[in-house]
Amino acid sequence: MPLVLIVVLPFLGSILAAILPHNARNQESWLAGIIAIVCAGLVIYTAPAVFNGEVLVQNISWLPSMGVNMTFRMDGFAWLFALLVTIMGALVVLYARYYMDPADPVPRFFSFFLAFMGSMLGVVLSGNVIQLVIFWELTSLSSFMLIAYWHHRQDARRGARMALTITAAGGFCLLAGMLMIGHIVGSYELSEILASGNMIRNHPWYIPILVLIALGGLTKSAQFPFHFWLPNAMAAPTPVSAYLHSATMVKAGVFILARFWPVLASTDQWFWIIGGAGMCSLLIGAFAATFQQDMKGVLAYSTISHLGLITLLLGLNSELALIAAIFHMINHATFKASLFMATGIVDHETGTRDMGVLSGLRKAMPITATLAIVAAAAMAGVPLLNGFLSKEMFFSETLFVDQTSYSSYLLPSLAVLASSFSVAYSLRFITQVFFGKPATDLPRKPHDPPHWMLFPSAVLVLLCILIGIFPEQIIGSILRVSATAILGDHLPAYSLAIWHGFNLPLIMSILALIGGISLLYVLKPLFRSYPGQTPVLYHFDGRKSFDAVMNGIDNIAYILLEWFSSKRLQPQVLWIVLITLVVGVLPLLDGNWLYLKQPFSFDPAFALLWIVGGACAIGAAYLAKYNRFRALALSGGAGLITCVTFAWLSAPDLALTQLVVETVTVVLILLGLRWLPRRVIEESQVTPLQAFIRRFRDLAIAICSGLGLSALVYIMLTREKPEGLSAFFLEKALPEGGGNNVVNVILVDFRGFDTYGEISVLGIVAITVYALLRRFRPPQESIHALENRHEIQTIDGNGLTNEHSLPKGILLAPNVLGRLMLPVITLISLYFLLRGHNLPGGGFVGGLIFATGIILQYMLSGIHWVETRSRVRPQYWISIGLLIAGGSSMLAWWVGQPFLSAISWDIYLPVIGKLHLSSVILFDIGVYALVVGATTFMLVALAHQSLRFYRKTPVAEVETNAEASTQLNFSDRVN
Amino acid sequence: MEIIYSLAIGVLAGSGIWLLLRPRTFQVIMGLTLVSYAVNLFIFGMGRLSVGAPPIIESGTVVDVSSYADPVPQALVLTAIVIGFATTALYLVVLLALRGLSNTDHVDGTEYNS
Amino acid sequence: MMGWLDHLPILPVAVPMMAGALMLLLKDSRRKALTGLAFLSVTIQLVVAVTLLLMTAGSISSDWNNDIGVYLLGNWIAPFGIVFVVDKLSAVMLVLTIVLGISALIYSTAFWDRVGIHFHPLFQFILMGLNGAFLTGDLFNLFVFFEIFLAASYGLLLHGSGSRRVSSGLHYITVNLIGASLLLISISLIYGVTGTLNMADLGIKAGMLDAENRKLFETACAILGIAFLVKAAAWPLNFWLPNAYAAACAPVAALFAIMTKVGIYALVRMGSLLLPTGAPAAFGGDWMYAIGLGTLLFGTLGILAEKNTGRLVGYSIILSSGTLLTALGMPGVTLTGPSLFYLISSVLTTGAFFMLVELIKRTESFGSNVLSVSFEAFGLDEDKTSDYSGDVVGVAIPAALAFLGLSFFTCAILIACMPPFSGFVAKFALLSSALELTDNNLTGPSISAWLLVIAMLASGLATVIALGRSGVRLFWNSGTLQTPKLSIREAIPVSVLLLSCIALSIFAGPVMDFLADTASSLDDPNQYINAVITQASNKVMAGGQ
Repeated sequence: MPLVLIVVLPFLGSILAAILPHNARNQESWLAGIIAIVCAGLVIYTAPAVFNGEVLVQNISWLPSMGVNMTFRMDGFAWLFALLVTIMGALVVLYARYYMDPADPVPRFFSFFLAFMGSMLGVVLSGNVIQLVIFWELTSLSSFMLIAYWHHRQDARRGARMALTITAAGGFCLLAGMLMIGHIVGSYELSEILASGNMIRNHPWYIPILVLIALGGLTKSAQFPFHFWLPNAMAAPTPVSAYLHSATMVKAGVFILARFWPVLASTDQWFWIIGGAGMCSLLIGAFAATFQQDMKGVLAYSTISHLGLITLLLGLNSELALIAAIFHMINHATFKASLFMATGIVDHETGTRDMGVLSGLRKAMPITATLAIVAAAAMAGVPLLNGFLSKEMFFSETLFVDQTSYSSYLLPSLAVLASSFSVAYSLRFITQVFFGKPATDLPRKPHDPPHWMLFPSAVLVLLCILIGIFPEQIIGSILRVSATAILGDHLPAYSLAIWHGFNLPLIMSILALIGGISLLYVLKPLFRSYPGQTPVLYHFDGRKSFDAVMNGIDNIAYILLEWFSSKRLQPQVLWIVLITLVVGVLPLLDGNWLYLKQPFSFDPAFALLWIVGGACAIGAAYLAKYNRFRALALSGGAGLITCVTFAWLSAPDLALTQLVVETVTVVLILLGLRWLPRRVIEESQVTPLQAFIRRFRDLAIAICSGLGLSALVYIMLTREKPEGLSAFFLEKALPEGGGNNVVNVILVDFRGFDTYGEISVLGIVAITVYALLRRFRPPQESIHALENRHEIQTIDGNGLTNEHSLPKGILLAPNVLGRLMLPVITLISLYFLLRGHNLPGGGFVGGLIFATGIILQYMLSGIHWVETRSRVRPQYWISIGLLIAGGSSMLAWWVGQPFLSAISWDIYLPVIGKLHLSSVILFDIGVYALVVGATTFMLVALAHQSLRFYRKTPVAEVETNAEASTQLNFSDRVN
Repeated sequence: MEIIYSLAIGVLAGSGIWLLLRPRTFQVIMGLTLVSYAVNLFIFGMGRLSVGAPPIIESGTVVDVSSYADPVPQALVLTAIVIGFATTALYLVVLLALRGLSNTDHVDGTEYNS
Repeated sequence: MMGWLDHLPILPVAVPMMAGALMLLLKDSRRKALTGLAFLSVTIQLVVAVTLLLMTAGSISSDWNNDIGVYLLGNWIAPFGIVFVVDKLSAVMLVLTIVLGISALIYSTAFWDRVGIHFHPLFQFILMGLNGAFLTGDLFNLFVFFEIFLAASYGLLLHGSGSRRVSSGLHYITVNLIGASLLLISISLIYGVTGTLNMADLGIKAGMLDAENRKLFETACAILGIAFLVKAAAWPLNFWLPNAYAAACAPVAALFAIMTKVGIYALVRMGSLLLPTGAPAAFGGDWMYAIGLGTLLFGTLGILAEKNTGRLVGYSIILSSGTLLTALGMPGVTLTGPSLFYLISSVLTTGAFFMLVELIKRTESFGSNVLSVSFEAFGLDEDKTSDYSGDVVGVAIPAALAFLGLSFFTCAILIACMPPFSGFVAKFALLSSALELTDNNLTGPSISAWLLVIAMLASGLATVIALGRSGVRLFWNSGTLQTPKLSIREAIPVSVLLLSCIALSIFAGPVMDFLADTASSLDDPNQYINAVITQASNKVMAGGQ
């Protein structure tokens, strides 16, 4: 029988449950119930094998390279828990069917319920520790969703978050621990880990591993000091509390501690950490439970205390204690779950869980009362009930822990104290709710619920009694087999009998009973005066401190984030420059660099040139704030010097390109300048020191970077040139590239792909610019400025519409000239395009020249005139350009050459003679077209913005009109 | 020659970076322009400097590699120039749009009163 | 002569480029044609990418030596011409890109491709740029492709305009322009020192440098590294990211999820190629580790402190970058495989998350009207020309909220690296192999390994806290959540991405093995180098053109 089925079924069920209709309460319950029962059946089906001491294993390969596989492993201990989970599941489903309101959206409930069942079964059946961690976290997640089932309630939300945060944190610790164990053992398989206990205990990592796994287990089992999430988790629907938070999930913690008992236990550290946490939880839980006002509160704290008992037993490093722990796990599950169910019934029937209000329900709901009383008695450890037996074992264990003299008294007395408290709260729980005179002011008229709702609780109570009376017959074999799974075959001798003779443990039990009763009377006044307030402990409210911590984390994180980041641009730029400067300089620090490798040549003219250039640059930097126009002119100057330099240093192509680009850029920026705000030098306002410091810092950084770059260039210039690519290009350019101008051959042939990308960038930017400008919203002040300029503008704009062919007045002559220029410019641009392959020039330069020609028209004749006449549709030019470039590159495919290969034909034409056609020139034509398109697209779109202001209308409408007209000019001219 | 060339790059880059660190969009775009000059010259310089040796080959001559400037950096600079041109144009438009939308020319779209 | 299969490597660039160009011929009103073209193009790209992946995996037989394909553009031999190189790493990145791209495209067709013009061409161009960056084997060409996808990303980030987008866009563009200058400086410096631009050739030449040139080379690489780290959003070079990504419209932000990973890819690639000659400090090694750790912590802080969900996702991207840098900064190749697994998982997750966040925003809006959201959020009311009536307002799926909640839950689990999904697998793999790394004196895992473990677990916990909080705030706070109008075209991509994460977790075994192979081939760059060089020599024997 495949074990994986036991785990997979519930998950399938959960998916199925999720898609059932909203109000299908019965179908949901049937589904969940059947699945739970089937799983239980499957578990029981494996019983014979397991009781023979076999270990069933099923292995599914998942992540073998990392040593993680889905190993399902069923031994006695796992079997016990699997049975617990499934049977409890079935009972709780039946209970929930009646508990949940018909209006409740049950699909979510049952879907997560089943998901939890699957995860829990996964935890207990995991044969691989990483797999165990996975299912472990899944239980946390599903419990989160179940606690928050009524998420409209604030306590539910808070409780859910708290539980998730703490258990998830524990899960991460558990993962870390498992990773370390895996590292030591060299395998994540549980069987191998269990086999190598000594290796782990003697490893230096033992302590951290112990701590991490303890953290995992203690958080999950709500042990001190992480106990406070459990009472807050009581906001969940009662079935969830009964199932997750008493019977199963909180048991996962003690489960894992018991699982790793053979590996980690029997050291002092184990005793102090595990035993200590258990002791604290046992006492604190019992103490706090005594003072709770909410019935579920009592049960929650008592759960903490009973789990503390189990943890303490595990911590005692004695095999008998371990057996007692397992025994108590079973017993606690039975009586606590049935008590939760009783609480739920009371809540359901009366509408409240407040023990201050409730009273004398025994008349109204006798059956519920009886069940609750028996279960509570079991919890209190009354003889003839299962709670009594495990508590006896506990007492005897506390006695036999060989300790130094004084602590040999301490432990038993604390045990007695704790159990007398548990007697006290059990008694109070019963007396307050079911005895005394019947309460009158209850929200609802109480009566016993339908029998099926009582059934689960009844079954459990029956178990309590049966185990209590016939322990050996009922539970003996199960206990033995599960203990064997942990301790191996030779178990210590123990007897599950009611009567061990009149011995010390019995006396302790009696003491506890008496002590409990008397405690109750002593504390009565406290209950009255401070209802629901735990003395002393209420100072340390887990919830408040948790919230405080959470908020603290948030605030600290926020402050640190403010500290370490900035929403402003300047700090960002500063960081980049600074870091680059540092990392750039670091490698160069050592070594003497500035000796000359080449004869130092000096050319005064060049020096003069760059004195001007430098002046331009600095001037631009200085003026850019207050005098944009001059700054622009100066930077243009620097650009011109740059391009002279290129010409000087034998790079004619660069000079040419730089020149044209410079022109176009300046025109662009000029078109933009008008939108920027006027800036006047504020004499009055004195620069504060801070600003001065900032400027100084920036200046220093700028100078350093500049110097650094200079140094770098100088070093490079004075070094031997490496044997590079250039030789190849220079030699192949003419014979194989078929062009004299090597640079151009590189651009369109050798490295044509760069050009291909570069023109794409140009095209992309052009369409982006256009798209952005369609939404351009001009600043208010500029609008006024422009409106005032109307009169002057008439010549340019309004004056020149379709009816006039030429403007009257001052611009007449330039217009005539300009229009004569256009064909000439076109010719020039074509000339540059065609000669590019052999002489400086090429598609790019040609295109830009043509574009400038068009711009000239715009500047002279105004937008209306040009756009009504010009036949340039930039967007299509861009597209065509790209298509030509791409197509010409693909031509090569047809002759079986790779992309972009140059292919050429020699055609003989009658008159002209031999004509040399190459795909390269086609490519360059593509470049030409695209550059023309892109450049005009941008310039026109920018120039076009001035159209927005010829009408005195609100901005929005102006825009739409402008957009409409732009549309007209750019795209609507298809036909 | 070399020393002037490298100082020139330094000056361009320095003033450019200074402008990049300033808060006004126009200053930043000027800075980008200057920096791009510097970068172009830098790339070009990586081919070392040579006067009167443009990499244009007369047909029918045997190629003496050493007598030509390194064409590769020139090609790279050309690509760089084009891309620089494109991005400058884009940047200009974006800063105009920001100016229009936020009614300020501060790079963060808001005026700080510090 | 070459068969068609030999031309595959160029298609991921050529196809979107031609598609984008064709789209520019169409008016934006021709939506059917545009979307048709777009989907045709991405489908082809998907097929090509998958085929290439199978070829690199050796599942499809090819005449590539050790499964690395080399494509000589313009038929010029390396190192002189530009080469495209397809190895396992680039193939994986290609597939990842196109999967993300398709999802984003589907999502955009519901609404976003109409809030402005030129969405589809820009989308194709950004794909072109990304694919090219992953394929190219030439340093300068890499720069060109960076510029292509950055230019397209500017366009897409500003798509729909509005002051938030423009102001964050300005920061984004400024930073990237500076990054471009750094790239140019470093690349040309590398050329000046080594005399080559071809990456494989660089791998050889870097070994032959004399001491002083080596220093200069180190400088160049350091600057190059900074440029890549800016792209990879490493702290403190990443302040621009959260705002920019939160401002971008959902499908664009989703696509951006991969852009930081391009920087990571470039670092890995260069680091691997320069490995035999001792990788410069900037690539791999302690620097990357330290910066990565800083980034990791910074991302964690951001996730904890951030209340705005969009920016939160931005920080989770930073977190993933930090994790990757830290892991890749660890010595050796042990962590490379898991890191790549983490990369895939986190890209898919964050991509889905960005779309999800936009859908969730609608639940807060009045009348659950998509238009109203975008109106008040992005000031689209100015735009009269673009029509977005139509099928935006799909039928309100009754389960819409449930779907959103479940998806958010899944995303949160994935980002917090909690079980059972791929996030956890990645985290576990990283941690367990980090512990395998012993420090020099072989006593056990190095300090850096421990720091990595602690940092990752802590960040995971922080993410649980933060996402738990925002999940509660988003879905459970008020009972009055609007059921959002959710067009199926928005639900599909989210589910596709999340389901692929789940598939990734189910088939973790084979995937991890493949990535381990990838890692080992990165550890032995000579395969790559030889592939490029031998291809060249074959070419020469074949006798040039």
